[in-house]
Amino acid sequence: MPFSFLRGLTLVLLALCATGCATPKSYVVLMESPDGTTGAIVVETANGTTRVDKKMDAVALDGKSAKTFAVEPPRIEQDFSAALKAQPALPITFRLYFETGTANLTKASKADFQNVLTTLRERGPSAVSVIGHTDTEGKSKWNEQIGLKRATAIAEMFKKEGIKVIELVVTSHGESNLLVKTPDDTPEPRNRRVEIIVR
Amino acid sequence: MFMTRKATQWLFILCMTLPFGTAATFAAEPAAGKAIGYVMKAEGDASVIVDGKAQPATVGMPVFVGSSIKTAANGALGVTLEDNTLMSFGPNSQLSFDAFVYQPSEQNLKLSAKITHGTLNYISGVIAKLKPEAVEINTPTGTIGVRGTHFLVKVDG
Repeated sequence: MPFSFLRGLTLVLLALCATGCATPKSYVVLMESPDGTTGAIVVETANGTTRVDKKMDAVALDGKSAKTFAVEPPRIEQDFSAALKAQPALPITFRLYFETGTANLTKASKADFQNVLTTLRERGPSAVSVIGHTDTEGKSKWNEQIGLKRATAIAEMFKKEGIKVIELVVTSHGESNLLVKTPDDTPEPRNRRVEIIVR
Repeated sequence: MFMTRKATQWLFILCMTLPFGTAATFAAEPAAGKAIGYVMKAEGDASVIVDGKAQPATVGMPVFVGSSIKTAANGALGVTLEDNTLMSFGPNSQLSFDAFVYQPSEQNLKLSAKITHGTLNYISGVIAKLKPEAVEINTPTGTIGVRGTHFLVKVDG
């Protein structure tokens, strides 16, 4: 009995080792971003500075080596499944467009507004930013106000639809944040917009 | 809550002018703080520590500069910051939000956090995109600089 127990224990330890021994206790591993690209991280430890720019490559944080090493999916699953499961929904940005000089949505954007409502309802209470923008036609001060009118109109529509939010921040960038760069006093439908960021 | 910036300011002014006893109703929101993000997922034993006081985490709970999050052995937690940064945590984790500035039009940007224990799933937001050098995730033995990306950190004693 004690012999088989010991043998069992050895097997368990060996199994643990197969996934665990090669990986340090503290490490950082680079992953593919939600948009399909892979960025990079620069890790500084007592052993020096390491740049990691390949997905599933890692570097130890507990100072044994500054060299990168590959991490296998089972290890990531074992260490990070709970953290990955708790990841909040990715933020989404919507753009709605307006008739010139007004806070009236274009016909196409009226239809798109329904998609915004659907998303807000599906996600449940979110932090929402509504930012009004204009084109460069007219004075910039006036455009600041038009932008705010547009953003406020959208916020009012959310209210009317009974949308529940955690936070709703309404601001205007006027003509200072153009989607399509133009000279001053240029009508540009794509700049007459409200951006809605749902987090 | 349905609120514009102006309304928030008014509420703030209102809070400041209310008699002391009434003002206590608003104690959940520290006077100095503007929320930098919100808890969007919470599971098991997870809490947000504000001004040294731990509160059980619930969806929609704000986090501030100086706040920490903490999870126990059965806990997990996900936070979304104002600049679209996502951070989520597995069991036995602790992280403090040490600095956060998000004023893109003035180029004032900063995000600094320290994980002392546990696991972190990090997806970068606008700050890392506009000014990568403004983001740092610290651990007891190292610093991670972000160049616009998704990574996982494990810190174990």
